[in-house]
Amino acid sequence: MSVKIVKYFLPPPQWQIPVIILLGVITGMAIIIIRTSRAHSYLSDTPETCMNCHIMAPQYATWSHGSHREATNCNDCHVPHDNVFRKYFFKAKDGLRHATIFTLRAEPQVIFIKEAGIEVVRENCIRCHENLLTDSKLLLLTNEFDHFRSGRLCWECHREVPHGRVNSLSSVPNARVPVPSSAVPEWMK
Amino acid sequence: MASLNETIRRKPWLGWFIFLASVVVVFFLGLLASSIIERRTEAQFAYTPVVKYDQSEPRNAVWGNNFPREYQSYLQTADTTFRSKYNGSATIDMLGVDPRLVVLWAGYSFSKDYHQGRGHYYAIDDIRNTLRTGAPMNGKPAPQPNTCWACKSTDVPRMMKNTGPAEFYSGTWDTKGQEIVNPIGCADCHDAKTMNLQISRPALKEAFERSGKDISKASHQEMRSLVCAQCHVEYFFDKRNDKKSYLTFPWDKGLTVDDMERYYDEFMFTDWTHALSKAPMLKAQHPDWEIYMTGIHAERGVSCADCHMPYKSEGGQKFTDHHLQSPLNNVEASCAVCHREKTLTLIKNVIDRQDKIIQNRDKLEEVLVRAHVEAKKAWELGAAEGQMKDILMDIRHAQWRWDYAAASHGASFHSPVEIGRVVASGIDIAQDARIKLARLLASKGFNEEIPYPDIATKEKAQAFIGLDMMKMKEEKDIFIKTVVPVWDSMAKEREAGYPSE
Repeated sequence: MSVKIVKYFLPPPQWQIPVIILLGVITGMAIIIIRTSRAHSYLSDTPETCMNCHIMAPQYATWSHGSHREATNCNDCHVPHDNVFRKYFFKAKDGLRHATIFTLRAEPQVIFIKEAGIEVVRENCIRCHENLLTDSKLLLLTNEFDHFRSGRLCWECHREVPHGRVNSLSSVPNARVPVPSSAVPEWMK
Repeated sequence: MASLNETIRRKPWLGWFIFLASVVVVFFLGLLASSIIERRTEAQFAYTPVVKYDQSEPRNAVWGNNFPREYQSYLQTADTTFRSKYNGSATIDMLGVDPRLVVLWAGYSFSKDYHQGRGHYYAIDDIRNTLRTGAPMNGKPAPQPNTCWACKSTDVPRMMKNTGPAEFYSGTWDTKGQEIVNPIGCADCHDAKTMNLQISRPALKEAFERSGKDISKASHQEMRSLVCAQCHVEYFFDKRNDKKSYLTFPWDKGLTVDDMERYYDEFMFTDWTHALSKAPMLKAQHPDWEIYMTGIHAERGVSCADCHMPYKSEGGQKFTDHHLQSPLNNVEASCAVCHREKTLTLIKNVIDRQDKIIQNRDKLEEVLVRAHVEAKKAWELGAAEGQMKDILMDIRHAQWRWDYAAASHGASFHSPVEIGRVVASGIDIAQDARIKLARLLASKGFNEEIPYPDIATKEKAQAFIGLDMMKMKEEKDIFIKTVVPVWDSMAKEREAGYPSE
């Protein structure tokens, strides 16, 4: 079956060299785009990856001046950690959305987290701080339990965590953040 | 089915269709590639300064192009409207407020003119205007060396880069007037490439080296005080071993008033000989940092910048307020960060300490005036050098302690207990001198109280010590009108040749 498909697309013998060269050209261009966009970095969890879009500078700067710097990276909070398939599916979905908005220059001046993201962050707060939330000495079932415990988001009270209260693309003009450096290698400059 | 290329041979339009489709797809992929490349390159410029300059750019406005908020707040040091009970942001004629100072500094240029300094913005204006720099014109040199410029301008690190400190300090003050025209500013404290805090004045680095400390290992918080310590410290011009007025900090034996006194006494350094008592006098210049380090705020890790350059938020952007001023004019941002009391309560706490220390400081001044006047009487009655030696040393030490406490305007807040001690020790030594003088005068047959001179106003005091102020003021006026514009125009020409952006 697959052999038939391959046979369908095979070029005539005298075209084979040009086609090979063209395929090489296309592959080379793909590699350069992957390199420029640093697409390979999205497989990792390092915070520098999120800095591929310099728009994330305020988030990086505020995170790195707060308590969560020592204990988390971006993905620890913003990507689900319950199972690996969900993690990469969410990364891909969210990443494609980010990439689209970034390409279209449609980012708002004030970025607010979306529904899907809210769920994920909330799960991750609970994932790390579970001990504080389920101390059996403190556990109590009352009428208000659902409202007070589960009806609120963690950051409705813990509002400074971790990105501070000021929310704007321009709130940290002089912050030192690891934005991507020039795509041209040193030896070529 | 037949292969694609056979299908195309039969239906050529299919070939053309595939060709055109590829063109369109590649075109749009190319646009995507351009967009990716563009947005990545944007990151290089998003946070890059607008204007390029290097460490020797002295003009603050140029640095300010890259850091407008800090620069705008720095420009506010031009504001002179604030008055606190004892100081403020306006210039105050201290000799007018307290004419005793004229007598205490008789024979020294401070008796001619002593105005409390105002904002950094005025550093150049004020040093040009003070009578202490004289009126150097028509070949007459200034009475001060070029070392005096060292703390006044961003042109100083620029020049020291070319000539080195010793060469910079040499020569009289007028010889570098056309080079030093920009007031204290960015280049004095910041590195041009990274905007990190850095020490630009060699005197501080050298003082640290002599004490065995490495200033390059100072933490960021320590640097927030050390950049001020480049200038807000006690200093002297070292002329030993052929040095030409080399700016030196007298910290080799330690940072307290007693340590510095021992240091100076070891080689009998003398700033001037008192015109009335002939005592070998020491002048203390604003030992702000040394005194502050003995206080409770420094002990708790608070730096100069924490109170004098607190953080400020404008339009959602937080930055350091470069409007250096008395925190009494900015209590909410300076003090209230840590202290929850009401603003008026905090101000009262400061004023209370100042009041109490000034009470004794004024007493010390009165005692010193009497000591000088009584010593003069002793000389008139034929006292011998040997008889006067200990008395004059006491006067030297007592006035050193008075000046140490008085010259630092914030001292009674920065370290009230230490300054209280210093003033008290000054009173003790001064009265000791007067006890010795009373015995000496009695031995010469003079056993009455010498009346306190009438120095109720600055004019009376300056007349009492024999100064011709009219002539000095007239000459200074001519100097300001004729020489200073020449300096400014020479500087303008030179700066027109600087790379701008």
